[in-house]
Amino acid sequence: MSWHVHLPALVIAVPLLGAFIAPVASMLGKVARNFWLVGVSALTALLSVLLWQQVLTSGTAIYVMGAEAFNLSLPSGMSLPIRIILEVDAFSAFMAVVGSIAAFAGALFSTNYMERFSGLDKFAALYFLLTTGMLGMVLTGDLFNFFVFLEIASVASFGLVAFWRDRPEAIEASFKYMVVSTIGAMMILIAIAFLYGRYNAVSMAAVANALRLGYAEKIALVFLIIALAMKCGTVPMHMWTPDAYTEAPAGVTCLLIAVSQASLYGLFRVCFSIYGASLGSAVVPWTIIILGVLSMFIGVSMAVVQKEIKRLMAYHSVSQIGYMLLGLGVGLLALSDPQAMADYGFTAMKGGIYHLINYTMYKGLLFLTAGALYYAAGSRNLNDLGGLARTMPYTTFMFVIAAAAIAGLPPFNGFVSKLLIYESTFAVYPILSIMALVTSVLTLASFVKVFQTAFLGPAKAKLAQVKEVPPGMLLGMSVLTIVIIGLTLFPTWSLSNLVEPAAKALVNQAGYISAVIGGGL
Amino acid sequence: MIGNLPYLVVGIIFLLGLYAVLFEKNLIKIAIGVSLIEASANLLLIVLGYRTGGSIPVFTLAGKVGKMVLPVPQALTLTAIVIGLATSALMLSLIMMLYKHYGTLDVREIRRLRG
Amino acid sequence: MWTKVFSGFGYWDVYSWIIFFFIASGLVLWIRSMGRSDYKKGTEQDEIFYGANAVPEDGSEIQVPASSAYWGFVEALKGYYEKLAEMHSGLTNDYVGYMVVVAAVLVVLVLL
Repeated sequence: MSWHVHLPALVIAVPLLGAFIAPVASMLGKVARNFWLVGVSALTALLSVLLWQQVLTSGTAIYVMGAEAFNLSLPSGMSLPIRIILEVDAFSAFMAVVGSIAAFAGALFSTNYMERFSGLDKFAALYFLLTTGMLGMVLTGDLFNFFVFLEIASVASFGLVAFWRDRPEAIEASFKYMVVSTIGAMMILIAIAFLYGRYNAVSMAAVANALRLGYAEKIALVFLIIALAMKCGTVPMHMWTPDAYTEAPAGVTCLLIAVSQASLYGLFRVCFSIYGASLGSAVVPWTIIILGVLSMFIGVSMAVVQKEIKRLMAYHSVSQIGYMLLGLGVGLLALSDPQAMADYGFTAMKGGIYHLINYTMYKGLLFLTAGALYYAAGSRNLNDLGGLARTMPYTTFMFVIAAAAIAGLPPFNGFVSKLLIYESTFAVYPILSIMALVTSVLTLASFVKVFQTAFLGPAKAKLAQVKEVPPGMLLGMSVLTIVIIGLTLFPTWSLSNLVEPAAKALVNQAGYISAVIGGGL
Repeated sequence: MIGNLPYLVVGIIFLLGLYAVLFEKNLIKIAIGVSLIEASANLLLIVLGYRTGGSIPVFTLAGKVGKMVLPVPQALTLTAIVIGLATSALMLSLIMMLYKHYGTLDVREIRRLRG
Repeated sequence: MWTKVFSGFGYWDVYSWIIFFFIASGLVLWIRSMGRSDYKKGTEQDEIFYGANAVPEDGSEIQVPASSAYWGFVEALKGYYEKLAEMHSGLTNDYVGYMVVVAAVLVVLVLL
């Protein structure tokens, strides 16, 4: 039995250990703390990649916490799936890789970005707890465990959003996020209680195996969908996102993006793997599609008028979530129809999942460049910035790449995933892809505005002292830039190795169940 | 009928909490509302695991028992209570800092971030 | 490596775009090199033309601020943007309210 068996647990345990050692490491000084922050994040990313490789070669990995088998057998022969299990299929492993890369870039960026502030031992601890929560959400195979990791991530993010606690806005953003998020989490808990009451199980696979759609299941489904859609910032539950993303330190915002993707993962895990074919009517897929279109359009139209750079980008993340909801919603719509699935459903899902990794990378990079601007120029207001391309050439270069990717300019990766979504949603309803195209145009328009006002134009006297940001921040940004360029240059490789296994794992509900249950209970 | 009474109580507590969060303007009252919703979720979990006439789920020294209540929801509830404690404490400390910054507990005054 | 991404309706090939990009940048550089280099340095030919006015020292005097960008777009969609601004009221109660309303509507739709 090689140590590879323990990879799923290690991916969660390493950042958790990192969180509790972080205050100790920071006692040894600044260098030790930064080393710990970056080293543990890098180790987590490495372990995630190893886990992903293992899942691709040897299939879904099951890890049972504290025992050999997932079920408890009573002397009477009855067996219950009660153990906490981690179930890592290709989609989970993909999400873990995406999230841990974003966490690594954010940690690298934060070493220099946060050095002007105190309380960094707590910052490092909360950062690792947030990473743990995010990775736990995507790796777990147990509904209640999912709730626990969601709450770990939420509570850590409340703390991190309010990290600059001398700013009234930061506290305000954190409080609003907290109220909305806690009520959402309680809805998830109530939904889990409903499912538990019906099936005596909290293991996702066991619930999925026994699921017969009734009133309790329908209400549980609605609660789960709404709460998780709120956590990833879907219109009209998105109001906390601009506040929280704007007020959090930039490295944390990069990680918050990954956490919102973990909520999106939860949403689709519930829809595809737990409910799956028994979803019945088309109400739920259409709800997801309509929420997606609303998010795209309202998010982007709010972004066009913003004048604060991070707030503008935060509204864009609302609109980008819409693309993923649209792509995967179309996939969900085609789930019960093999012909439609082969025609456009699977392409839409590939587009959605490919957009997910693209979005996490370029949006994280955009927030990091916004943080770099704030660090160097001391302002987030676009009216105060201007002509920074002369003094900050590297930041400008990376901003241009990220902005081109998010606006879907060819040949960048954002274009490929958007193309897949446009062409497949066109088969369902042309109006959907028209809305997506309009959104893309407005995205380009608002990033042209950011680029023109912040980077181009004559140099301002106020900004004469601005210098390029320190190397740690540049390194953090370049990690994400390299990933974006890689995804751009090798779209075939990333689609067939990263995206397709994930999409297949998501569609294959029977495979998800049988990986745990085997021959049935 | 009487067996369904706990579920009714859960529903009432949940709605009371939701009412407080939706319509109260005082931050402390909103926090109370959130705590009420948490309490109702915990109560729901406990009620689900209870069997009428069941004994505690401990095998050691249990004596002769016909049926036991399910231990899993109780474990879930304990975890949920701990999480609820953490969120309540953090929420109250955020309210404290909001009061320091804004000088008011009225939620209508605390809206610098909008639009 | 040189394969294409098929979307079911068309395909995507990044390398032809990169070749196109190099051709386009070659053209741009060629056109740029056609510019005249025999202008007289230090004379009026060297100065910025700013509508026959004196060029301001500080760039912030001639830059269009970000809040004025897309003014016409926002003005044309004024009603829509007023509604949106009303939606983003900043009130915590409203934020939770939207979630509860969406959940209630969806429960009705799903149960029907």
